[in-house]
Amino acid sequence: MNSRSRYVWAYVMIAPTLLGTVLFWSWPAVYSIYLSFLKSENFGLINHWVGFANYEKLFHDREFWQNLRNTLYYTVLFVPLTLVFSTFFAVLLNSKIRGLSAYRVIFFLPQVTMPAAAAMVWVVLFARDYGFINYLLGTHVAWISDSRFAMFALVIVGVWGAIGLNMLLILAGLQGIPRSLYEAAELDGAVGFRKFRYITLPLLTPTLFFTTVVLMIGATQIFDSIYLLIGKTNVALPSVRSLVYAYYQNSFVYYDQNYGAAIVDILLVINLILTGIQFAFQKKWVNYD
Amino acid sequence: MAKSQAVAARSRSNWIIHLVLIAASVVMIVPFIWMILTSFKTVTEATQIPVKIFPANPDWSSYAKAFEKSDFGHYYLNTIFAAFMKTLFPVIFSSMAAYAFARIKFPGRTLLFFIIISVMMVPNPVFYTPQYLLMSNWGLVNTVTALWICSLVSPFATFLLRQFFIGISQELEEAAILDGCNPFQTFRYIMLPLVKSALVAIVIIQLLWSWNELQWPLIINSSPDKLTLSSGLSTLVSMFSTNYPILMAGAIMAVIPMIVLFFLFQKRFIEGVAFSAHKG
Repeated sequence: MNSRSRYVWAYVMIAPTLLGTVLFWSWPAVYSIYLSFLKSENFGLINHWVGFANYEKLFHDREFWQNLRNTLYYTVLFVPLTLVFSTFFAVLLNSKIRGLSAYRVIFFLPQVTMPAAAAMVWVVLFARDYGFINYLLGTHVAWISDSRFAMFALVIVGVWGAIGLNMLLILAGLQGIPRSLYEAAELDGAVGFRKFRYITLPLLTPTLFFTTVVLMIGATQIFDSIYLLIGKTNVALPSVRSLVYAYYQNSFVYYDQNYGAAIVDILLVINLILTGIQFAFQKKWVNYD
Repeated sequence: MAKSQAVAARSRSNWIIHLVLIAASVVMIVPFIWMILTSFKTVTEATQIPVKIFPANPDWSSYAKAFEKSDFGHYYLNTIFAAFMKTLFPVIFSSMAAYAFARIKFPGRTLLFFIIISVMMVPNPVFYTPQYLLMSNWGLVNTVTALWICSLVSPFATFLLRQFFIGISQELEEAAILDGCNPFQTFRYIMLPLVKSALVAIVIIQLLWSWNELQWPLIINSSPDKLTLSSGLSTLVSMFSTNYPILMAGAIMAVIPMIVLFFLFQKRFIEGVAFSAHKG
């Protein structure tokens, strides 16, 4: 078969995905940036070009800075905690114990659970007067409606949901470390934590780095658990409201799609930077192999 | 002597490890147990002080109430239908495109592939407003179609499957070409069966993602009969703010299908999700 007709087949085979992607994904991504430079009236029937006006408003908006801080605060709490717990359990599971698959299934369960449903049960667990958590701890804390604690409640729910998958990814990284390295270290008298510190951790760095970036990208997009755990009428909402929540509120509750687009485009910039860092370092490590 | 000591030390440390893992497992499972226990309580039991852990008599009525007073029948149908569409079409379209990108050297290949995968770097909320405007133009706001139509194609699945096609040896394909197969036949009968495990992984993650997705269904549809389980649960919360048994019954009904699938295909689920996280 000549190569020209092979080309035709190739174009036919990529056509649905290419057209669908451009129509439903690429064009909307570009249009979202365009929207942030407009001011719409009459539900988008009249659009004025306003340049950077939406961004100026954004940078003078205290609520925006608060939302950005909340998003970053959530990220710096959620990511390290998830990493530490996931690594800890992965190391335990890597010690050739029995029941590995049972533990894996149990830890993975939150991963297949709808975030909306999970958030609802945490609302019940965190309830002040009749919640199980206060009952266990003997405390009387309004976990999700006290602005001092709401962020911690969100982080706990996030970490609970994320450990299973990340533990597995780290476990896969651990299993890639040759046993002979440990045996050599044992001959030199290395035990317990020293083996972890000088063999496991350095060789696990690429996996941990990759996991960190993926977790950060996910954390900056937090929405579901705020929407259902905290809720729109909660007095603690301002102290946990994320960029995506603010985007949702401005675009689809207050119907200011242009301002909403400006908010979400800031998120886009943050995510592109994170992805850029990931690519840069990925190359570096691939070269080391 | 030294050896038996080492064995003893090892089994002791194994016990400690098991203890830690069991304690952690309990923490992981408590929310599920609490969900089930609460759904069988009466409202009085669920909000009793001090906390009552077990219901006196299992009360099933919350399930019926959640089903009747909201539109759970529609939530199920919409979620299942949308998940089906968002799985079937991306798998067909992406595997075709992935094969062409991996195995046929056509002009513009690199550029077109870049156009497709570049959207993977963009966070989902960025797409929502323009997609909403598009749906609105087509008169699709508040329809079941709007739940799935934007996800007919999947750049992510295309990217993953392309990796797999690249990894397959040339020989089989060359034999097929010599036998006069056109590229689509080669793809369909020779290559596709070889990436079956990747296809299964993609089916699983597409099902899981679309089943659990909240934000898009929340934005695009508001009529009770056009909601999914995920967005439906959030209306349940505003209807029955502290009627915990009904809320928990609803939550269980929403998560049960995926959890049952998970228990039936544990290994494939775990591999599929881990695999997609790794390559993405």
